[in-house]
Amino acid sequence: MSAKLKRSILFWILLSPIVVVILFPYAVMTISSLKSATEVLTPNWWPSELHWQNFPEMWRTSGIAPALANSLYVSALSTALTILVSIPAAYALSRYQFAGRDAFRQFLLVSQMLSPIVLVIGLFRLVAGAGMIDSLNVLVVIYTAFNIAFCVWMLQSYFSTIPRDLEEAAWMEGASRWRTLISVFLPLAVPAMVVTAIFTFINAWNEFVIALTMLRTEGSYTLPIRVFSLVAGRYTVDWHYVMAAAFVASVPVAVLFAWLQRYLVRGLSIGAVK
Amino acid sequence: MQRATAPYVLILPSFILAAAIILWPLKEIISLSLHDVNRFGMIRDFIGLQHFRVLFADPDFIAATWRTLFWTASVVVGTLVISVPIALILNEDFYGRGIARILIMLPWAISLTMTAIVWRWALNGESGMLNSALRGLGLIDTNIQWLAEASTAFPMQIFIGILVSIPFTVTIFLGGLSSVPDDLYEAAATEGAGSWDQFRLITLPLLRPFINIAFVLNTIYVFNSFPIIWATTQGGPANSTDILVTYLYKTGFRVGKLGEAAAVSLIMFAILLVFTIIYVRLAMREAKS
Repeated sequence: MSAKLKRSILFWILLSPIVVVILFPYAVMTISSLKSATEVLTPNWWPSELHWQNFPEMWRTSGIAPALANSLYVSALSTALTILVSIPAAYALSRYQFAGRDAFRQFLLVSQMLSPIVLVIGLFRLVAGAGMIDSLNVLVVIYTAFNIAFCVWMLQSYFSTIPRDLEEAAWMEGASRWRTLISVFLPLAVPAMVVTAIFTFINAWNEFVIALTMLRTEGSYTLPIRVFSLVAGRYTVDWHYVMAAAFVASVPVAVLFAWLQRYLVRGLSIGAVK
Repeated sequence: MQRATAPYVLILPSFILAAAIILWPLKEIISLSLHDVNRFGMIRDFIGLQHFRVLFADPDFIAATWRTLFWTASVVVGTLVISVPIALILNEDFYGRGIARILIMLPWAISLTMTAIVWRWALNGESGMLNSALRGLGLIDTNIQWLAEASTAFPMQIFIGILVSIPFTVTIFLGGLSSVPDDLYEAAATEGAGSWDQFRLITLPLLRPFINIAFVLNTIYVFNSFPIIWATTQGGPANSTDILVTYLYKTGFRVGKLGEAAAVSLIMFAILLVFTIIYVRLAMREAKS
């Protein structure tokens, strides 16, 4: 037996308890989503038959389709807006020395620390005062504001690793600063933009407390609120539908994440230190 | 675009947006906390620190504060202690490492709300699959009503909190470990240092800044964490699993005492500010070294 094989077996044995515990809820979710309405209430692990029809039935009855559309709308739009305002700020921080630069960085740091929940009372008054309760666009603006700090940080630490020589060479060739930015600098920064975009998207997709506070009618619910409303304050909960809904809400993002996690590890290890 | 104004133009959109969404509500909260407010949010007389006095006389608030500190400390310390060995293992080269990394990172991608709702079902006393799993393994004979009382619900919530905090923490540690040069270990091995000595004398000191950062960031996230407790017990039964965020939400949106809720926000903000200052100090020390 090679040394690497021995090591692999040992490591998997060491990791197995935590892997089992981590996977446990998702196993419960998947199995419960395939049980029938009566069987889900019996304390057996495995269903006697797989109730695939739970998914189309849940889709029809639970109102998850509009929630999915709302979540996609809010997440995509706030990701785009966050990237759009973060790129210039990150560029300024990494390429210019200016008075107030440190102050701006400190401001971002503090805004990172103030989570939405601490401000939720004030935010609610702001939104209610503007008569915009139930508006998905309000959610977009709030999510953008709370993601700016992280995105600017990440982008800035990545921008700083792009050598200036390339831009300077382009200026020598007579390209304008703007032109250089568009055709030389930004293409080099695409990996960092993708990582921050994914991160913002996942944050927006999963956000709970602001959506819970601002969205009051079922038509405007995002996925977490929709699924939560299937559970909270009800006498009877159709757990097999709830689990099917949770499955639909979780799996797309989990797959996206599994595919991109190695970039996140790399990106965060830069962003965390600087 | 002139050079001198260019950077300001570039940071302006992000600054305006962040400031409007963060500073305006903050101003509003300060004003609410110092005035008499009716349940429809009409601001009436200035009453100074009355809301704060009411809060500190409320045993539920005091209990929630202590519980928040216990919750934060348990989750953060538990997470760090479990994450260091996991990161060390995942940093080694072995078969299936890619899959192991994905499995351990998985809870990060799934919304806390979903995870908490699934746990609520798994912990169900009659039909929950945790009870059936534990019975199947012969660990318990009678079903445990996990969420029916704080003595079992709260430890379970801490346990869930640790599980969902591990991915982020392991990621930070992996970033730190990848910066440790291999030749240091080779040098140490030729000097006759065993693997425990290598860990104690090389890995741990080099990992320290990352442990510090993970400690502070996790403290802030866990302190503010709302969905785990809200989706499993909503702070119940009888407020016995309330932490400050759930107490704040109930006071503001259920009971409708906006002034007191705003005061809770400010108290939380003060505690967070202390964490932030610690974080800035740490970040600056890192930047210097």
